[in-house]
Amino acid sequence: MIPEIGYFSLTLAMVLSVLLCIFPLWGAHTGNLRLMRAAPSLAVGQFAFVLISFAALIYASLTDDFTVAYVAYHSSSTLPWYYKITSTWGGHEGAILLWLVMQAGWTAVVAMRSQSLPWILRARVLGVLGFLGVGFMLYTLLMSSPFELLLPYYPVEGRDLNPLLQDPGMIIHPPLLYMGYVGLSVSFSFAIAALLTGKLDNTWAKWSRPWTMTAWGFLTLGITIGSWWAYAELGWGGWWFWDPVENASLMPWLVATALLHSLSVTEKRGVFKSWTVLLAIAAFSFSLLGTFIVRSGIIVSVHAFATDPDRGLFILAFLAIVVGGGLALYALRVSEVKSEGRYKLVSREVALWLNNIFLVVATLIVLLGTLLPMIHKEMGLGSISIGEPFFNKMFAILLVPFAILMGIGPLLRWKQNKWAFLQNKLLLCALASIAVTSAWLFLGYDDVAPLTLLATTLAVWIVFTTVLDIVDKTRVHGSLQNGLKRLSVSYWAMVLGHIGIAFVIAGVTLTSAYSVERDVSMKPLEVVSLNQYDYRFEGVKDIRGPNYSGHAGVVTVLKEGDKVARLYAEKRQYDIGMQFMTEAAIDAGFTRDLYLALGEQLSNGGWSLRIYHKPYVRWMWLGGILISLAGFMILGDKRYRNNKKREQKNQSEVA
Amino acid sequence: MNRKFLALLPLLAFVLICVFLYQGLFANPRELQTGRIGQAMPSFNLPDLMQDDKRWQQTDLQGEVYLLNVWGTWCPTCLAELGYLTQLREQGVKIVGLYYVQSYDSDFDGPFDMDSLREEVSTMLSRAGDPYQFNILDLERTLALDLGVSGAPETFLVDSNGTILLHHTGDINPRVWRAKFAPIMQELTP
Repeated sequence: MIPEIGYFSLTLAMVLSVLLCIFPLWGAHTGNLRLMRAAPSLAVGQFAFVLISFAALIYASLTDDFTVAYVAYHSSSTLPWYYKITSTWGGHEGAILLWLVMQAGWTAVVAMRSQSLPWILRARVLGVLGFLGVGFMLYTLLMSSPFELLLPYYPVEGRDLNPLLQDPGMIIHPPLLYMGYVGLSVSFSFAIAALLTGKLDNTWAKWSRPWTMTAWGFLTLGITIGSWWAYAELGWGGWWFWDPVENASLMPWLVATALLHSLSVTEKRGVFKSWTVLLAIAAFSFSLLGTFIVRSGIIVSVHAFATDPDRGLFILAFLAIVVGGGLALYALRVSEVKSEGRYKLVSREVALWLNNIFLVVATLIVLLGTLLPMIHKEMGLGSISIGEPFFNKMFAILLVPFAILMGIGPLLRWKQNKWAFLQNKLLLCALASIAVTSAWLFLGYDDVAPLTLLATTLAVWIVFTTVLDIVDKTRVHGSLQNGLKRLSVSYWAMVLGHIGIAFVIAGVTLTSAYSVERDVSMKPLEVVSLNQYDYRFEGVKDIRGPNYSGHAGVVTVLKEGDKVARLYAEKRQYDIGMQFMTEAAIDAGFTRDLYLALGEQLSNGGWSLRIYHKPYVRWMWLGGILISLAGFMILGDKRYRNNKKREQKNQSEVA
Repeated sequence: MNRKFLALLPLLAFVLICVFLYQGLFANPRELQTGRIGQAMPSFNLPDLMQDDKRWQQTDLQGEVYLLNVWGTWCPTCLAELGYLTQLREQGVKIVGLYYVQSYDSDFDGPFDMDSLREEVSTMLSRAGDPYQFNILDLERTLALDLGVSGAPETFLVDSNGTILLHHTGDINPRVWRAKFAPIMQELTP
């Protein structure tokens, strides 16, 4: 009964989204205000029905309704209740339904929060979002319904959720990532609506900016948590593998980052308009491309989702219509757009333009690295594999000019700048960062590689120049207190974002350079030491969880005789699939992580253990969190709130 | 004109990508382009896994149709296929194991701990079934390299003249056997 409600409700939502696609777009085309006015309620209605549908799946999962094929394949009765809920997005069909919830949710929020927009634009934005909704719902209903039944012969027990996905990180990672992917569809819709209207002015950029920032914030957080999940759950201490699925999330992030920098130029200065629109289309296109890569099985990946060429074909067709249509419209309209502002070589415009160049080049590197093996093979040139060394090298090369620019850019003013003005300050910053970094690294470590020193210096450089910029900007207003108050929320968002990047750079660099690991075989009460820490193996005890059993290696960590932590490195065997899972024990710290994974029992009675000492690894995720906060902060900016007063004015314009 | 063309460029690039994606959709990415099919088994001279003084050469294997199964105790999928392979052995299929040592480098790692490996192997085989006539130990992975092995499990079907007829990556289960191996086996044994 309940699954049928879910399916039926989704069908209703689809009907509403068809209307949402047709009514406002037709209304905007013919100037029919009544049709356009229907859009917001259609959007909210669509969201309500999608939500009912999703609730039905969650209900089926919570009540162990194994007549539903999806629940039987991805859940089991012994699963704790929270994992029963997360199992609804642990598989393909459910994940797409979650995507739909996000899509409909964003559409509803846009419908409610866009009163200040002129009706023509508002209707077109919602219409385009409606069109995207139709595509995904059609896909769900026809190709991947999570409500398929296994009647009359249904199993008494489900196959259980993949143990890898039974982790807190997995509870939030996909929803956040999808929030980001789908959120970019709002930027896309704004761009398409602006192209349809033919008015690519800075108001368009202003409206698009908070939505883009929010979506980008979610995407950042999603990627960060995904990386953390890989680190904590996969048991070999890695945090990024340049896997096609990870690349699929990195590409939209890079483009979206370029987009929000470009949006700020377009908003404030009225330049780069056509470029910004292209980035807005590209950002969502990469989200869709990522989905296609992940869901079609076109590229073999460790994430290996169930694959099916029919589904891939549908997504590809949808991709072709949405992206191809968007780019065709772009080609038609954009040649009419003229740039207004003027600027000199040393100016913030040029700095942001360079930033865009670097980010786009980075995106292309990732795209090539991901697709080249496939293209190479199709052209009959044989199999090649592109892996970590390629990406690491390329990103290391790009990082240097990018980070230097990141320090200088914020200090520059719009239009033009006297280079001589900045020269001394920048030189001072550069010397200070070299001095501080050298002191930090040479005092802490015996061996400092030039590349490590360079990358860390760049991270410190970003922090120093950012602080210099804050000081500079506050000094204009007399006292420090007075000055700090005057700085806008967007400015603080930028500061936070850049500091976040500095943390990521420093974290990645230092943990790559100074992580050490040891494979040891230990008998109870034996002690091994690694980087000033002593690990005393206390033995192995049995453990029993809700749906697994196993054993845990107990290790006491000591530093100079004092107890630092007691770690339990687990080896679990899940009851249903009988898979073995390594659950690493981590003692987290600001400047280092101690990471312990339990291996097998050896023939001599000892246990094999792998011990990692990972300095500054946490900075990477701290940076990610800071960056995503920067994205959410912009919601607090006054310029993007309290727009309601202008609403009447705009409406009278349309009438 | 120039500007119009520039504006068209993203669309053209996208169409090109789409064409490749479309083709890629119908190509099976798991299919290995092995250059070994139709070629003779490369020559080798490698020790037996279980006996110290026994060595094997490709000529020892000629004269019979056999499967060369690349495996290791470190590989869970290999463990999973042992049961079905054992059934195949009972049906009269000759299976030779090529034991793949995952990460050993004699230049760095010191002497190889043969005893513990043998113990591991016999425990696993006594538990999950032993399909092998014998096992060849490829410590330095030279034969695996010559064969184009990319991981484990992989299985080669070799005919009585020593020609490789099939290279399968992944586990062998009843479905794979029926679809890929059985037709060729039938042709070979009239």
